[in-house]
Amino acid sequence: MDKLEQFFFLRYIKAPKRNLLRFSFVFMTLGIVLSVAILSAGLNLFEGYERSLKAVLLGSFPHITIQNTAESYISPIEANMLTTKLTRHGEVSSVLPALSYSAMAVGESKVRGISLTAYYSDGSTALPFEKYVSMGNKQLAKGEAIVGKYLAKELGKSIGDTLKVVYPQLDKISALGIFPSQRSYKITGIYSSGLYESDRSSVICTWEDAQALLGISPGFSKLEIRLQPQYVDSAINVSRKIMNRLGSEYYVYPWTTFSSGLLGLIRMEKWLIFIIFCFLVLIAGVNVISAVSTIILDKKNEIAVLKTLGASSASIKKLLSYQVGLVAFGAILLGQILGALLSLFVEKQGFYKLKGDVYFIDTLSAAISPLNQVLIFCVAALLVTVCIRYPLRQIDKLQIMELLRNP
Amino acid sequence: MLCIAGYNLCKSYVDSDQSINVLTDATLEVETAKMICITGQSGCGKSTMLHILGLLDAADSGRVIIGGREISSMMPEAPQIRNSELGFVFQFHYLVEDLTAKENVALPMIIAGSSSVVAQKRASELLSTLGLASRLSRYPNQLSGGEQQRVSLARALINNPKIVLADEPTGNLDPDHSAEVWQMILQLNKQREQAFVIVTHDRESARLASQTYNLAQGKLSLLS
Repeated sequence: MDKLEQFFFLRYIKAPKRNLLRFSFVFMTLGIVLSVAILSAGLNLFEGYERSLKAVLLGSFPHITIQNTAESYISPIEANMLTTKLTRHGEVSSVLPALSYSAMAVGESKVRGISLTAYYSDGSTALPFEKYVSMGNKQLAKGEAIVGKYLAKELGKSIGDTLKVVYPQLDKISALGIFPSQRSYKITGIYSSGLYESDRSSVICTWEDAQALLGISPGFSKLEIRLQPQYVDSAINVSRKIMNRLGSEYYVYPWTTFSSGLLGLIRMEKWLIFIIFCFLVLIAGVNVISAVSTIILDKKNEIAVLKTLGASSASIKKLLSYQVGLVAFGAILLGQILGALLSLFVEKQGFYKLKGDVYFIDTLSAAISPLNQVLIFCVAALLVTVCIRYPLRQIDKLQIMELLRNP
Repeated sequence: MLCIAGYNLCKSYVDSDQSINVLTDATLEVETAKMICITGQSGCGKSTMLHILGLLDAADSGRVIIGGREISSMMPEAPQIRNSELGFVFQFHYLVEDLTAKENVALPMIIAGSSSVVAQKRASELLSTLGLASRLSRYPNQLSGGEQQRVSLARALINNPKIVLADEPTGNLDPDHSAEVWQMILQLNKQREQAFVIVTHDRESARLASQTYNLAQGKLSLLS
């Protein structure tokens, strides 16, 4: 920045009312503010959606699942030995033996497929479903069950009602056919994780009740591992380490095996939306081109005088770009603030909810990530800079004599 | 000693497929500290002559010598010479509307590379000598026509140029303000020993100059 550019830049900052608040900037500013606000709000909401979904997925499902390759069940002794081995890994936060099977829940006139889950715990570890019990009791006793919010709604059940669960026992076929096993549980809690599919199919009961229903000897279908928060994203690496330690007798599945496709798709959608909304900023850039062209026309005499006094075209172009740039960059920041407020409003409003069966979760949430904000600013600033520089090329073509002859 | 000269300057314009010869063979030599006036009818090419001498326009043929060196408006060093060797005053003051009087005057010094503080200090001194000490922080639209032209004159003088080129400096002023500006130009010419080349319609005022030329049919002739 040479002395002349420095002088005008400081002048613009010291006297913004006179230099920056011009009528010709009104539509340019509005265009940038609105387009950046939409871009910012869109990205904030998508970021919030991605994070919420990830949080719900990681909150309700294990980070790593271990299953026996040879046997259907992991015996309590084996589970105990594995738990001891696995808790030695610094990355592991907790290990929970669990029974998880598909069964059917029967209402008055409806039948729904469910995922029956039961955990074995010595009480030292918090059970993963507890934080999602929105109504009723978190603790389960024999003969009690916690039921997913939407499942209870679909079957017309609520706390205190009895839920009949039927397990077909397909592996136990007699000469008279299949005799399904069935048990009735008293509903003592409602489970609401926010993940629609989970809330529509979960039934949680005690380990003993699940064994009785399934008709199996004491054992577990899997071990659920939860990792320390900082290792959740590197679950693949941790699962490889565990696999190497446990050998080929066990299948080890990180959470990404089941959910990375979904999260990847959402991430891709987020960036597609970002690119599409960037075009809005580009459209707002047309107003910038118009504002710069107007300012060149308004100031043609001043441009002629500055050229006469010895200022170079490059310097004059910079002076005008600082003037428009200060307003435009201010508008970008304003747009980002408006976008943040808009996304927070969408999050807090109560009249529109997501369709859980379409979007997996039913709540809208916004996440204002500093990295995203920097990205929005950089992209918008780049587009605006291009739109400022394009019309400034006219200055090279302006002839001093033409301007002085036609004041 | 010659400070600026134009030799055999020719310039023509094309207007509606018709070539108009404005300057055919105009020659002018200006010595240091002299005050030259060029008069002539409207459209005879007075301003064109001044613009060619001031490196704002290029002649079709002929030579311009400034400080002993041949130069043209097309040369890359022309802006720097306009800034340091020449001062300009126009009929319309062409002050930057968003800058105060002091800041307007400081512009050529800032363009030359001086700091804003130094340039504005010098501008204040210069405006004070021109009787505008109380108008330093006024914007152009808060000044009278005469004051605007004095600010424009101060802007032309701030870099101590060897030559000041003035195109109808009083053409837009009433008689009182016009007389005021002429007095100031005469005084500056004497005090600062700067050469002035002034284009004017005002034959009365032109008599105050050391030499007066008339431009007719593209040629300059000495009147007095």
